[in-house]
Amino acid sequence: MSSSLTCTKLTLFTIAGVIIQTIGLSLFVYGFFPVKPALSGFSGPESFLAPTCNSVHNQSERDLPPDQLKALYEELSGIPSFDRLVLMVIDGLPAEFVLGKDHQPPSKALMEAMPYIQSLLANGAAIGYHAKAAPPTVTMPRLKAIVSGAIGGFLDVAFNFNTQALLDDNLLGQFLKFGWKMVMLGDETWLKLFPGLFIRHDGVSSFFVKDTVQVDQNVSRHLVDELSRDDWDLLILHYLGLDHVGHIGGRNSILMAPKLLEMDEVVKMIHTSIIMNQENGQGETLLVIVSDHGMTENGNHGGSSYEETDSLALFVGLRNHISDYASYNLNTVSQVDIAPTLALLFGVPIPKNNVGVLISGTFESFTDDQQLKALELNSWQLLRLLQAQLPGLSCENSPCDSFSHDQGSRKSKCNGSMEIMVCCLYRNAVVLHNSWKSKDVSRSYSREDYSSIVAAYYEFLKTASEWLSRRVTDKPVNLLAFGVAAMLLSCLILLCLIFHICKEFYCRETQHFDSISGMYTWNLAETFILGVMLILVISMGSSSMVEEEQYIWHFVTSTLDLLLLRKTMQSLPAEKSRSSFRLYNGTKKIGFQMCSIFVLVISGRTLRGWHQGGVNWTYLPDISKWLEQAGSNYIKLIQLISGLLMISLCLFSLSLLGLRRKLVMVVGFSFLVSGLLLLQHIMLYQENAFVSSSCSATLWVQIIFAVLGIATIGTFMALPWLMPICVSRTYSGHDSHMSTSVPIEIQKKYPLLELKDSLFVTGWAYMFCWCLLQLLLQQPINSAPILLLLVQIFAIMIYSSYWGLHHKQWVEIAALYYLGMAGHFALGNSNTLATIDVAGAFIGMSSYSTLLSGILMFIITYASPILFLLSMVMYISVKDTSYLVIPQNADSGHLLKIMLAFPCLVPLGVNSILLTAYTVVLLLMRNHLFVWSVFSPKYLYVCATTVCVYIGVSSVAGTMIYSFLVLALRKRMQGSSGIDPR
Amino acid sequence: MKTNATTSSVKASAEPEAEVSASSHSISASEALFVHLISGLGLGLAVLLAHYVFSVNLVSHPSLTLRLIWVIECPIVILLYSRYRKNREDCSYLKAVGRGLLGLPVGALVSALGAIALGTPVGTQYFSKTISWSLMMSLFTIVPAASVFGVSWKDWQRIFAHTKPVGSVDLIICLPAHGAVIGAWFGAWPMPLDWERPWQEWPICVSYGAIAGYLIAMVASSCFILARATLQHVKRD
Repeated sequence: MSSSLTCTKLTLFTIAGVIIQTIGLSLFVYGFFPVKPALSGFSGPESFLAPTCNSVHNQSERDLPPDQLKALYEELSGIPSFDRLVLMVIDGLPAEFVLGKDHQPPSKALMEAMPYIQSLLANGAAIGYHAKAAPPTVTMPRLKAIVSGAIGGFLDVAFNFNTQALLDDNLLGQFLKFGWKMVMLGDETWLKLFPGLFIRHDGVSSFFVKDTVQVDQNVSRHLVDELSRDDWDLLILHYLGLDHVGHIGGRNSILMAPKLLEMDEVVKMIHTSIIMNQENGQGETLLVIVSDHGMTENGNHGGSSYEETDSLALFVGLRNHISDYASYNLNTVSQVDIAPTLALLFGVPIPKNNVGVLISGTFESFTDDQQLKALELNSWQLLRLLQAQLPGLSCENSPCDSFSHDQGSRKSKCNGSMEIMVCCLYRNAVVLHNSWKSKDVSRSYSREDYSSIVAAYYEFLKTASEWLSRRVTDKPVNLLAFGVAAMLLSCLILLCLIFHICKEFYCRETQHFDSISGMYTWNLAETFILGVMLILVISMGSSSMVEEEQYIWHFVTSTLDLLLLRKTMQSLPAEKSRSSFRLYNGTKKIGFQMCSIFVLVISGRTLRGWHQGGVNWTYLPDISKWLEQAGSNYIKLIQLISGLLMISLCLFSLSLLGLRRKLVMVVGFSFLVSGLLLLQHIMLYQENAFVSSSCSATLWVQIIFAVLGIATIGTFMALPWLMPICVSRTYSGHDSHMSTSVPIEIQKKYPLLELKDSLFVTGWAYMFCWCLLQLLLQQPINSAPILLLLVQIFAIMIYSSYWGLHHKQWVEIAALYYLGMAGHFALGNSNTLATIDVAGAFIGMSSYSTLLSGILMFIITYASPILFLLSMVMYISVKDTSYLVIPQNADSGHLLKIMLAFPCLVPLGVNSILLTAYTVVLLLMRNHLFVWSVFSPKYLYVCATTVCVYIGVSSVAGTMIYSFLVLALRKRMQGSSGIDPR
Repeated sequence: MKTNATTSSVKASAEPEAEVSASSHSISASEALFVHLISGLGLGLAVLLAHYVFSVNLVSHPSLTLRLIWVIECPIVILLYSRYRKNREDCSYLKAVGRGLLGLPVGALVSALGAIALGTPVGTQYFSKTISWSLMMSLFTIVPAASVFGVSWKDWQRIFAHTKPVGSVDLIICLPAHGAVIGAWFGAWPMPLDWERPWQEWPICVSYGAIAGYLIAMVASSCFILARATLQHVKRD
């Protein structure tokens, strides 16, 4: 022990570690979860002009009235457009069902399930493609991809529950500028994406997955009426039933064939009506049938397997008729290609961020000129996007220079850097096209010329599109490496600090207490705590262990409880007959400990049984399901009882302090008031959902928020100032044995006992406030688990206060952390984003606010870890650390270090290990099938846990330092004035 | 049937009793090995019997198989370990057997409670499985100690709380018991994995783990005892 860290140094190192970790984490998140590089604004008429370096945007053209704009676009593009569009989205339909796979037509049963679509395909009226969807294959990002042609990042899904309108350039926005009237029937995701855009809509919710019939009938019931009307230009139908069938029974569900038949009937109805309208001269209508994603054998989706990404794009009513079935059913395009194709077919500018490429077969019926024009438009749009992404793609080699100098040259080989290659490919295509245009007058061209131009265009388009979409999913290696390195560094720093502190404290301890505790060779609990870390790190590599993480935490914590029980057994006296007073005291102590461990075990087991969490076994019975079946009255009763028990338990624990002073009474009373307010709120408003969202309920909740906030902050701020300071008062708490080991001069100089009392009350206030808040915000079913968590905390407090020196402090703090994590899962959370309680995030809010509801959501989700971190304040006050004090260098820094070092460092250290390990795991799993559905959501949880640990630790440290400084100041003032206030 | 077996074995094992009593709490290496061998063979016999005679196994009929195991293992363990009882002056062989029989349900209760604390599903359909499993665990852990030590808390504490076996009798009790518990603990780990194998059900893989741990620990204990014997032999020379 050559050098001992001073308190300041320790603090600085810790803060440095935390900051490095934050930087590393944000770099990694930024690198791993690509933020979509989006261009703002909408494509206007300039998209029909070649990109120039000094392009002058004519703003006046943008504000043209719709019909003039339409005329302008038509004139600029020169491509005849369709008049109306029916976009039919069949959620979760794999293209394989319609088009077959690997040169094979779909199975006979599937063919028979969709006779009309198959006949359309067979006679060439329809043309179908495998449209490969980008992961994550869930509905909202896929819809965005279909309408905007851009690939979103993973964070899109993460914020899926907070659905926001699609603000980027997209087809529907373009159609709106055109003056189109739009109707939407089906999944209400569309309404969330495009609020207020539709003249008529009937949204159905995808929430009731069990419903496979009603959800589609609600769409089809308007269909006959809508098809007979002619006041719409775009009709969107989004059928969810097939996805629900998949979720229930998988691909081969018996419900699948009837559902496909139903979809086929719908297609038949729409197509017949389209043909009829066309004959009546109501304009040409295009029917596009797409699916947003496929499904696995089990009917799940979200990942990136072939089955999930294999979605459908089927165009019905294009003017061309291809009769060769085999030639097209193998065509694989990308889902984003739908957007530019539709844009060009309807004569609107291609959305700005589109990375898709015109689907080649769809323009067969147009003249060669028109086809080339379409390709040219697509190339211009992609080139603009490229220019935004690649500043190096300078204007010198781009088309604003004339290509007169190499007008005649043939296509040159293109290679080199991305910029050069793209430029070269583009130039090739443009040169060929220009020469075609010049020859165009004479009409002396050949098919070879034409196809070589098309090939050149496609070469450019494919290269650019691939590069652009890879860039979205591409991971910048430098950022990732730097982020991981920073996290490793901070992890090392924190672990070194813990190790150092351990050495410093326990070397001395073993010198000091060698005679008492004997050998300290290896301790089972310590080894187990370390082993748990190893187990957790290893289990993170397995996707099913990540899905079922709650089992690990519950198993580990109950094993830890049993190990503690064993440890307690060790000191049970062997001979009961010799019961002198000291031995009696000992058995009483051990009796308390045994009781607290049994309480821990029993409550832990109940918590485990409360929610059957995870992914694979959610259907198994658990207590919450059983209670919900029993009826809401029982739940309310349980909620009230747990509220009452919670309040009485807390008040009892406050009375244990033995300070029957006005101060404690006031604190207790103020919390009692808020507790009673809360119970009253439960009685009044928990009845049903309608009342609980009413105005008075909101006001009531806000009052509770205010009372709780004032009581807690008031306690924290005022208590150290008001705590009575006695010069010579023997410690009256329940751990009276501790006061002996602190030298009397330190007790005189520093307010240790007062600090303990003050911390006890403050920690009590934190915990009580947090529990009441959870009782208010959590689902009613979770009230009893909150109570059990509180009981667990008190049991641990009793255990550790009686268990003087036998356990190292870090073991107990790590145990607290583990219990907090087990409680996190016991409250029904899991590692999927689906279990986040969104409904609770709007309790007590009179107007919508993303920030506030986000904070409430965080409070609800991280109820248990934060509760256990806050209990650290009380833990510091009940844990006897005074034996660590070295009398000769006892200054305030030393005392603070002794009390704070472990409670702050251990959670940070444990979390940093888990965070770093999981970051590495995520990096290794980046190509895993479940990276988007399992590993990435888990990573978001890990990040949020990190934030939660920061919050908890900083509030513990802040409370501690504040209380200590205030009390020390008062003590000094009192010492100097020499007046005892009592 | 069980009592029959007990009484007949009592007669059979009455003879070697006299030799053993000479060394109060330590037995010869060969005898310890014999104990382990017989318990291991009993276990093997039970599994083979289940497989060939009743044509069931742990996966298909966990409850039945476990019952078969503990029924066969019960007389073997109790009769074997009762021979090494402590305080043989004021404790007859029969008393030790009785203690062992009494220890069986008590130990089963303790194992069942421990397993439930660690997360065993509670429910009527698991009831018989849990009972059979905990009776088996009781035979691996508690019953030998009950036969040998009776109610001597000091010995129990030494074996189970401190894990400090002294002498070969302690070893043959302590190591297999710990092996079975640790094996069962590790056996529970594959349960949450989504491999959809039938053996991931409670209590199949836990039983496999317990049996494996028990067997490994018996081998380890034999090695320890042999090593000690050779060491003592060398010392004596």
